[in-house]
Amino acid sequence: MSSDRLRRRHATTRCFRLLCAAVAWAGIVILAVLLFHVTREGIRWLDLQFLTAFPSRFPEQAGIKSALWGTVWLITLTAGISIPVGVAAAIYLEEFSPRNRLSQLIEVNIGNLAGVPSIVYGILGLVLFVRFLALGRSVLAGSLTMTLLILPVIIIAAREALRAVPDSIRHAAFALGATRWQAVRAQVLPVALPGILTGVILALSRAIGETAPLVMIGALTYVAFVPEGPMDAFTALPIQIFNWASRPQEDFHQLAAAGIIVLLVTLLLMNATAVWIRQRAERTGR
Amino acid sequence: MNTQTTSDAQISSVAQSRSVLDVIDVTIRYGTKPAIQNVSLSIPQHRITAIIGPSGCGKSTLLRAFNRMNDFIPNVGMEGRILYLGSDIYAREVDPVEVRRRIGMVFQKPNPFPKSILQNVAWGPSINGFTGNLEDRVEQSLRRAALWEEVSDRLHESALALSGGQQQRLCIARALAMEPDVILMDEPCSALDPVSTARIEDLMFELKERYTIVIVTHNMQQAARVSSLTAFLENGSLVEYGETDQVFTRPRNQRTEEYVTGRFG
Amino acid sequence: MAKSPLAGAGTRKSRTKEELIRFVLFLCAFLSILTTLSIIAILAWEAYSFFREVRVFDFLSGTRWTPLLEPRSFGVLPLVAGTLQIVIGASLIAIPVGLASAIYLAEFASAGVRRVLKPVLEILAGIPTVVYGYFALTFVTPLIAAIFPQTQIFNAASASIVVGIMVLPMTASLCDDALRAVPESLRQGAFALGATQFEVTLRVVLPAALSGVMASFVLAASRAIGETMAVTLAAGATPKMTLNPLQSIQTMTAYIVQVSLGDTPVGTVEYQTIFAVAALLFAITLSMNIIAHRVLARFREVYE
Ligand SMILES: Nc1ncnc2c1ncn2[C@@H]1O[C@H](COP(=O)(O)OP(=O)(O)OP(=O)(O)O)[C@@H](O)[C@H]1O
Ligand SMILES: [Mg+2]
Repeated sequence: MSSDRLRRRHATTRCFRLLCAAVAWAGIVILAVLLFHVTREGIRWLDLQFLTAFPSRFPEQAGIKSALWGTVWLITLTAGISIPVGVAAAIYLEEFSPRNRLSQLIEVNIGNLAGVPSIVYGILGLVLFVRFLALGRSVLAGSLTMTLLILPVIIIAAREALRAVPDSIRHAAFALGATRWQAVRAQVLPVALPGILTGVILALSRAIGETAPLVMIGALTYVAFVPEGPMDAFTALPIQIFNWASRPQEDFHQLAAAGIIVLLVTLLLMNATAVWIRQRAERTGR
Repeated sequence: MNTQTTSDAQISSVAQSRSVLDVIDVTIRYGTKPAIQNVSLSIPQHRITAIIGPSGCGKSTLLRAFNRMNDFIPNVGMEGRILYLGSDIYAREVDPVEVRRRIGMVFQKPNPFPKSILQNVAWGPSINGFTGNLEDRVEQSLRRAALWEEVSDRLHESALALSGGQQQRLCIARALAMEPDVILMDEPCSALDPVSTARIEDLMFELKERYTIVIVTHNMQQAARVSSLTAFLENGSLVEYGETDQVFTRPRNQRTEEYVTGRFG
Repeated sequence: MAKSPLAGAGTRKSRTKEELIRFVLFLCAFLSILTTLSIIAILAWEAYSFFREVRVFDFLSGTRWTPLLEPRSFGVLPLVAGTLQIVIGASLIAIPVGLASAIYLAEFASAGVRRVLKPVLEILAGIPTVVYGYFALTFVTPLIAAIFPQTQIFNAASASIVVGIMVLPMTASLCDDALRAVPESLRQGAFALGATQFEVTLRVVLPAALSGVMASFVLAASRAIGETMAVTLAAGATPKMTLNPLQSIQTMTAYIVQVSLGDTPVGTVEYQTIFAVAALLFAITLSMNIIAHRVLARFREVYE
């Protein structure tokens, strides 16, 4: 009788375990279905002409040249601005800041900024950069908006990387008469670099896929040229995908799928780089 | 026992040579908890001074006060004065960076930078505006730290590839490259095997010709072997300070006697 | 003090340089405060000019949202209801699935399985939302329509499902953190009393991690509220208060996108609606995030 109950209790555990496992592995299934669907729909359109043609009303002539170059411009500028600023902020918070109310406020604030919906950043960019600073609907305005959007992510990741550097290294540097900045720049930063880079790449890959803020600041969807400077108008890969996906015709949906393949491959390459950096650092590191 | 008069007497008894560091009535607190209480002593030039005492008595805290490394620990408060060659290292106008350039430190666990051997030694001088021949300075420091023979052919290899004892000598070389006046060592041999320990003790003997050394140690024999002066701390107070010979063979204080003879507790 | 042994030659200069660097670094950190202030200032300012034309009460309690059509009406509730519908639908997926995945990861899975599943979750989290929107439109909606023929092309159900999938990784990983924060000693104590793994998990670990788990749900819901592209693509542009998930609706975020894509003249009251809606969106998500972070901070304190 009592062993019967025990058996039932163990059976419950087994069922529960099975259920949780099935649900957890469902993530893989979803991912597989999504990738399979996108590939099946889009692969047919993915050729050299697709990569090198400008957008067009005729699906068979349409391509992503301007979107691709727009994204390259956008990400390059965003990286150029957000990496130094984000790492500097992280260095201040982790290495310099006195433990006072202001630094606490900054910390909490960064945590909250990371949760602000991206479309709100779009509105900020629209009013602040496009209109107030009169940058227009330029790549620069887009990059500045993206910068504000991913700064919290970069700062949080860079702080984690800095925190992982053992204090013994800092103390060794200070005992040699180094100033804070000398210690950070020459000793702490190089050790934290792989971690920072990983975080930066993940943040930038978020920027590559972000659509809503760009829609807000009015990144144009029909752009038949490649930006030549930071003040040029632009479109970007996710915008182009959004544009195609929101049209009713089946062909354009498939073009969107082809664009998604390009986007996902780019993201995959970036993530692979991040993983590679992390593993190399672990192998050569302490 | 009146601490104040004892330590005054002790200061005068060891002051035959010029003093480099004068600790005057220093109290150090972590938060409100005192770790060092009303300690006064003088560290003479070109001698090895050992600080001994049971675990947690405040040895490291006192040592770190000498080059202001306590500045990096939050909530540390200090009263009293510490003079280096007569000037207060905690005075408002003194830059702690300058203090640490004169008073170097070697830590308990070897902590080389994860860089090449050369870069480890050269970095200190190069950030401090050294204009001479850097490679000569590196070689000279490594020789003084008795490491040159072992590493001269692999200066560009990672310092992390060295053995623990070699790493600790590298850390000493790194400190020497700054040409400091004083070298503080916090249990520099506790992570090392007996052979490496012996090498570092020999090294200290040679170094005292040029440098003033303060060493914290748990090892009675080591204190007796290497130091000329010994300070015994207990519960944050200075119990006895004098010539090592005297402290170990004719201690004035009963607690000291119990501690150095191992009948402690 | 003329010849202090501590007066280094370059001290003054290097001290100034150090202070300068410190100041520049501080400015970079302070930028985050400026960002928040700008967001608040802009939303407040623009919403203020909107509320000079439309009464706050009418905005918050009106049940008709037709700012672009005559007769115009500025009741935001249909957009709120649409958003709520998506959030509830998404939570129905993300909460049970996320929690169960987290329990599996934290309580059952071996280290090897964790090493596979965690990155998969990270990849799922890294897929851009526009991709999920496309997926909803071209895969999920036809699937639903095959089961329920009355399904509209744009519908809340399809958007809810993909938003649920989107916030799932975040829910799972936050719940996982919360469960793993529960000290091993609690589990061992229960096992020692003869409890099975199921009983330990449900009666001991989950209650101990409850506040952390709840905070994860709040953060996930806040993410779902702010989600934009998937709902713009899949849920439609029909602000209405309906309980039928197979119909087209509109969320707050999708409305903002709709206006910014259209040709509503800047400065008109119609255009200002996006700031009023964005202000509401910001206020809702910010308060949810602040509450969740508070709860999480207290939760972490308990187990540290
Ligand atoms: N960072 C700190 N915060 C708070 N209290 C501390 C800190 N460091 C040391 N203490 C306390 O101050 C006292 C003295 O510590 P200290 O490290 O100076 O001892 P010690 O003599 O070096 O011991 P050991 O021989 O074990 O190294 C101890 O009671 C210790 O707990
Ligand atoms: Mg110590």
